[in-house]
Amino acid sequence: MISEQARQIASQCRHYAMCKIDFLETGLCPAGEKRHYVSYFPQGRMDIYSALANNLLPLTEGLVDIANTCTLCGICDKQCHFVTGMRPLKVMEALKRHVEASLSENKAVTKIEEDAVLKDLRKIVGTEWATNDPAILVTYANDPFPLKDMQMPGYVVLPRTKDEIVAIVNMANKHGLPYVVRGNGSSVFGIVFTDGIVLDMNRMKSIAIDRDNWVAAIEPGVTSFDLQKEVQKHGFRVNVAEPAATVCGNIVCTGIFSTWSNAYGVAADNLINAEFVDSAGHVFDLNDVGAPNIFAFRNEMVPPPGICTKAHVRMYPTTKDEQGLLVPLGTFDEAVALARDLSARRIGVALAVLGGHYLSTFMSPSAALADKVKENLTKSLDINSMVFMVGDRYARDAVKKMAGVTIDDKLFRMLMLGLPRLAEDEWAELLRNFEGDKYAYEIFCMEEMYPLLEAALSPSPETLAGAVDEDLRDFYAQLYSRPEMTDLVWLNMFRIISSRMARHKHVIAFILYVPLDRIDIIKEINGLFKKVGDKYGIENEFGFLTPMDFGKRAILEYDYYIDQTSRSDAERIGKAMTEIDPELERLSADIKGIKLMKYILSQGCARKEHFLYR
Amino acid sequence: MTGGTGFLGSHIASELLRQGYRVLLLVRPNSQVSAHARVEQLLTWFGISPKDKRRLKVIEARMDQPDLGLTQERYADLTNTIDEIIHCASNTSFSERKRTEVERANIEGLQHILDLAARSKCYFFHHLSTAYVAGKKSGPCREEFVETTSFTNVYEETKYYGERILFEKCDDEGIRLNVYRPSIVYGSAEDGRSLRFTALYYPLRTILFLKNLFMKDIEESGGKRAQQMGVKMGTDGSLHLPIRIEAGNGNGINLVPVDFFIKAFMEIMDTCLEGSVFHIVNERSKTIDALVEYTTRYFNLEGIEAVRTEDFDKQSRNGLEILFDTYVDAYKPYMRDNRIFSNDKTRSILEKKNIKCPDLDYELFSKCMQYAIETGWGANLFGKQHQ
Repeated sequence: MISEQARQIASQCRHYAMCKIDFLETGLCPAGEKRHYVSYFPQGRMDIYSALANNLLPLTEGLVDIANTCTLCGICDKQCHFVTGMRPLKVMEALKRHVEASLSENKAVTKIEEDAVLKDLRKIVGTEWATNDPAILVTYANDPFPLKDMQMPGYVVLPRTKDEIVAIVNMANKHGLPYVVRGNGSSVFGIVFTDGIVLDMNRMKSIAIDRDNWVAAIEPGVTSFDLQKEVQKHGFRVNVAEPAATVCGNIVCTGIFSTWSNAYGVAADNLINAEFVDSAGHVFDLNDVGAPNIFAFRNEMVPPPGICTKAHVRMYPTTKDEQGLLVPLGTFDEAVALARDLSARRIGVALAVLGGHYLSTFMSPSAALADKVKENLTKSLDINSMVFMVGDRYARDAVKKMAGVTIDDKLFRMLMLGLPRLAEDEWAELLRNFEGDKYAYEIFCMEEMYPLLEAALSPSPETLAGAVDEDLRDFYAQLYSRPEMTDLVWLNMFRIISSRMARHKHVIAFILYVPLDRIDIIKEINGLFKKVGDKYGIENEFGFLTPMDFGKRAILEYDYYIDQTSRSDAERIGKAMTEIDPELERLSADIKGIKLMKYILSQGCARKEHFLYR
Repeated sequence: MTGGTGFLGSHIASELLRQGYRVLLLVRPNSQVSAHARVEQLLTWFGISPKDKRRLKVIEARMDQPDLGLTQERYADLTNTIDEIIHCASNTSFSERKRTEVERANIEGLQHILDLAARSKCYFFHHLSTAYVAGKKSGPCREEFVETTSFTNVYEETKYYGERILFEKCDDEGIRLNVYRPSIVYGSAEDGRSLRFTALYYPLRTILFLKNLFMKDIEESGGKRAQQMGVKMGTDGSLHLPIRIEAGNGNGINLVPVDFFIKAFMEIMDTCLEGSVFHIVNERSKTIDALVEYTTRYFNLEGIEAVRTEDFDKQSRNGLEILFDTYVDAYKPYMRDNRIFSNDKTRSILEKKNIKCPDLDYELFSKCMQYAIETGWGANLFGKQHQ
């Protein structure tokens, strides 16, 4: 009854909720769009199939409805393949088959009785938007974080308004029930779990643009992708994080940081105002005289200030001549020095040092191609680090003068659309044997090379589509014929390719603030992550480093990659984290400007000055 | 012996085995393919018989570490075993940005091997150097150690300083020393086989790459990019690649085939027992004109020409020329060479056995190119396995 192939795919769902945003203009999963529970989206169906494979779910009314509402339209295959390389349609088919087989065998369909709590919840939000059906609950019980075991909530509720949230909090307090809030229904770091009530904000998705004040007012179910798309229509940009993450969730949890933080800052810098429902069910906004001071920072783990029901965020102006630019560099030190210099000079709206893994993974539509490209970047082209920036023509001219060799928009597009050819061995061998004093990438980026590169790479949507499964090639060719899909600015604003970093394995990201003028310390931290990762046999890579605050500080990400279904990987990551933690604590205590993200959790609204200038 | 998996080192090791020597190779560990596996692959390529292989011993050693990365016991064992050392391990990169690695291999590595020689019962040190330790100069270069301070690249420089250390140390320790200085070595004159496809091969490979690229562009995509680069179909199916190569005013390139080098090395090693310096070079350098003619004929090309410096207007360079020029930049000093390597000592030994350096004529050039292309410029040297 259970298909092993489908089970394996289902067990690898990364829970990034990318199937809950329409990032490829394929439309959304029709059932998910209508029913809002995670369970009706491909992500939830994957979890349900995993649970069925482990005999954890009875045949319930919810399960039958979830199976029946899947139309096998195939949108999930396109969306998920783009990010993870997986083809979940097989799981969707297997789930339908499983339920149909159970029904044809006349197995009893269990109806889960409504209890007092559920009755109260349904009184608040309506029958449809609160449930205790295990088929739905189970999709809020897992995440890929390996050190967190499954934890089933008692109820899931989808409020539509602030008043409903107040009522739910009061009701939970009356029943003595714990509750957690999920912006987009997902969890990836093992934090948002409860035995009580899960509030999923997926129905609260309104966005109001205040054109005069350059402010967007959003509800807690609004994702980064949806907000960026909306403000872009008005010629603006917002500083947001991963596309499927909700903006309010990010604001409260870690504060928003991104490559745009070079110009837009972090945490409180982007926040005009916010409205909360606190744990006693009282509503406050940050401009209330008696409101808690959540701009302050305490160097300890603290609970969130409440449920964010609305946030007003800054919108930033854009210019028509903005483009992205990549600066290839032979060493990490050179890249950090350049990024810092640019930040200090206020050059570049977005700015970051990227590792080879990020770049190759982001650009490649398949894992196999990413591996080849990554190897070629370092071994053949001598590119060990890359500085990425977005700027207007004046900023780009300055960077070209400062760095000499750059990959502009035109070359990037050529490289991306010709990526499968770039990965071919003939190129690699020729460049690898280059003996001059120049780095190989310096030749590669010469303008005289462009016609030759075009001849060699045959850059086109079709060429790039050649890297994916045959039946998806037409789709990819159409997709990559859209200019934004190879536009560095758009890709960096919407970040739809950054989720690819977890394509081959689940990623555990270590994020911390560092002093950018202490490259020795940055390298020591990278070295620590590498040493411990290598010791425990965990694949590890430098992620990115984004300057901020005029190059005084930076945000550093270092990533560990593990198989989320492997017990031994879970043990190893546990040991590694236990070993890393005291070392980072020591560095944080000794050196100004180092701040671990774990202390900022739930204090994302704090002023950066309070946690970075201590 | 060190460097036994390199181009010249592997030829020497194989010849030693064929001639009945007992050989101990110190081979650098490699995370992908074990030292033994790499040696085995090479011996198969050379066709060494199982009987001859029995006289070979392979030890993994790190030349960049003072103790060669060996345990005390292993190191002590070595010192009791060695009679003669042939040091071929070297980093042959010309690139300044690789200076640290090149210095580590060519100076520090050499020092560590010399320490081993001094602490062992080694009585004869054979050192593989290069004729180009002469550095930047014109005219005659003698077969002896000559002080100089100016070099074309980091390879020449580090090989020079290596020699200086070598002469002092061997003199101090009373170890006899032969220094073998070849010029540029390419494939075998007998059958065109080679293990390495840099130096002479690299510019040719670049030309062939460009040819294939633009042929494909013309045949499959209408030739728009070819046209942008001034590339077009020539007469009789040839391709017109407009590349002028600045040939300078030198004597041409000094090239020796690897089989000649090996014969010369073995003969010198067998004959010269008091120790000396030997230039293993070609008495007739090959002009760039001749190489261009071979290349265009072999690859069916037009438009490539060698131009003297005074006739070459750099301002008017086209995209292909800029590109080709950048690619072969590192090799330019050898294309415009005015150094003349005296080889009296070498000749006096080789003449007795009638060993002569063959000329690189078109037939030999063709043989070498055929082998290079057949093996994918080294990628398919060992069948399906990669280099």
